[in-house]
Amino acid sequence: MKYTLYSFIIAAIFLNSCTTTHYALTKSNREEYAINDKISVDSSVVKTYLPYKTAIDNEMNKVIGYTDVALVKRSTLPESVLGNFFADAILNQAKKIQPNIDFAMPSTNGGLRNDVAKGAIIVSNIFELMPFENETVVFNLKGNDVLELLKFIASSGGQPVAGLKMNIKNNLPENIFINGKEFDINKDYYVLTSDYIASGGDDAKGFANPIGKKVLGLKIRDALLKEVNDVQLEGKKINTKLDGRITKN
Amino acid sequence: MVELQKINRRNFIKTGGMVGAAFALNLNSFDTFANGRLQKLTILHTNDVHSRIEPFPMDGSRNQGLGGTARRSALIKKIRAEQENVLLLDAGDIFQGTPYFNKYGGELEIKLMSAMGYDATTLGNHDFDNGIEGFYKQLPHANFDVLIANYDLKNTALQNSTKPFKIFKKAGLKIGVFGIGIELKGLVDPKNYGETQYFDPILKANEVASALKNEYHCDLVICLSHLGYKYRDAKVSDQVLAANTKNIDLIIGGHTHSFLEVPEDVKNLDGQITTINQVGFAGINLGRIDYYFEPYKNKKIKIGTPYQINNKLDV
Repeated sequence: MKYTLYSFIIAAIFLNSCTTTHYALTKSNREEYAINDKISVDSSVVKTYLPYKTAIDNEMNKVIGYTDVALVKRSTLPESVLGNFFADAILNQAKKIQPNIDFAMPSTNGGLRNDVAKGAIIVSNIFELMPFENETVVFNLKGNDVLELLKFIASSGGQPVAGLKMNIKNNLPENIFINGKEFDINKDYYVLTSDYIASGGDDAKGFANPIGKKVLGLKIRDALLKEVNDVQLEGKKINTKLDGRITKN
Repeated sequence: MVELQKINRRNFIKTGGMVGAAFALNLNSFDTFANGRLQKLTILHTNDVHSRIEPFPMDGSRNQGLGGTARRSALIKKIRAEQENVLLLDAGDIFQGTPYFNKYGGELEIKLMSAMGYDATTLGNHDFDNGIEGFYKQLPHANFDVLIANYDLKNTALQNSTKPFKIFKKAGLKIGVFGIGIELKGLVDPKNYGETQYFDPILKANEVASALKNEYHCDLVICLSHLGYKYRDAKVSDQVLAANTKNIDLIIGGHTHSFLEVPEDVKNLDGQITTINQVGFAGINLGRIDYYFEPYKNKKIKIGTPYQINNKLDV
């Protein structure tokens, strides 16, 4: 009897110790490290990327122009210096291929991926501003589809545009001027955008039922590179300003 | 939120004491609890690194001089030298942002992540920028897992390349990690995501997190999310996900490039803590969360009180 009891206890102990170990979460401590020049450098990483870097540095570090102003996206207004530069540049270059374009929204604000600092502009600045391989596309849109697009621009608080002037009131567009003329919903318009936006990217509206469309064969990034180059060839510097093309009152 | 962050220490000790009593019977146990040792797990994380191999150039721009893989790697090595149990995780958008991606298609980004010892990432929308094939092509350079639970990729080149979740074992701890991606429609050119099917993030997250916690008995469940931290409208975000799910301890977020001053602790459907963190973008920061666990040998019990949270490390 005694023997049986001991066996039972031993068995119980044995079984108990075979149960899985569990863990109760008792504490969490959090920290965030800034990755800056106070941190040392892992030379093995540099060694890994150096051949890649060397192979593209010549092309990427080439100075192609200058800007007298910092081209920045941050803005308290419905327009930004970077957005204006971007849209003006694309419209200008696209018009060299198709002159009858009325206005352009070549990107959303979300598509402007990096600021360009004041001073020399190198190729890599433009790649970082516009890393995507998107194409310029001209859409022939009916007036009511244009209005859909303008409503999208207004409801999203303004987007990079050129050739368009309007005010945003209660999240709706008003006082609309396209290519210098008052917007007429009964007319159709030639609108420049990117293939990304046209396919519904960033939820842009108005491009679903065009009268017609034409891919220009000019990548957005190439248009930017050309524009910076052209300004440089004219002996000028980029000097984009906020000009009240989209206001909010 | 405040009451969540305050630990109910007395309650905890009481519960802990009960567990301790159960253990006292376990005469031959030579386990970690008998040694009174807490298990510590260190989570390191990034998101939206966007091909930022080198620090931002010193050109007067806002982020000049910040970030850089060589520094991140040195810091990670230092932490690994000090900590036994480290998981290094990323929340997607590895690709796109510098000429390194345009010229090399993400090869260098993935190689360096492998060299740094990343354990897992999820798919961000920009990881589709060279199409599904473009991502697939770089996978031979990856020695980490790509986790995504709410995309069905069976009709794509990635059909055998991702997993919904993975369970990592560190010093007896089971850490379940899964991935949740953003809706690609309207965000990614349809030709780039092809036949990827998107499923409701909340449904999938609940399904996977429940399996990880209750069937696989993970001690910690982490969601790598590329949904975005929060939105002005009702669009699903990490905040929405956290509040509408159970069994997720930590959401490592991305997409919105959000710099959180401190991680956010949200009360989830179970009334438990789901922590959300996101560390900006471009590798400007490295996030770290140390979790401490108390081991016990018994049937799984629920500790009802919130655990202690500090926004600094133990010295």
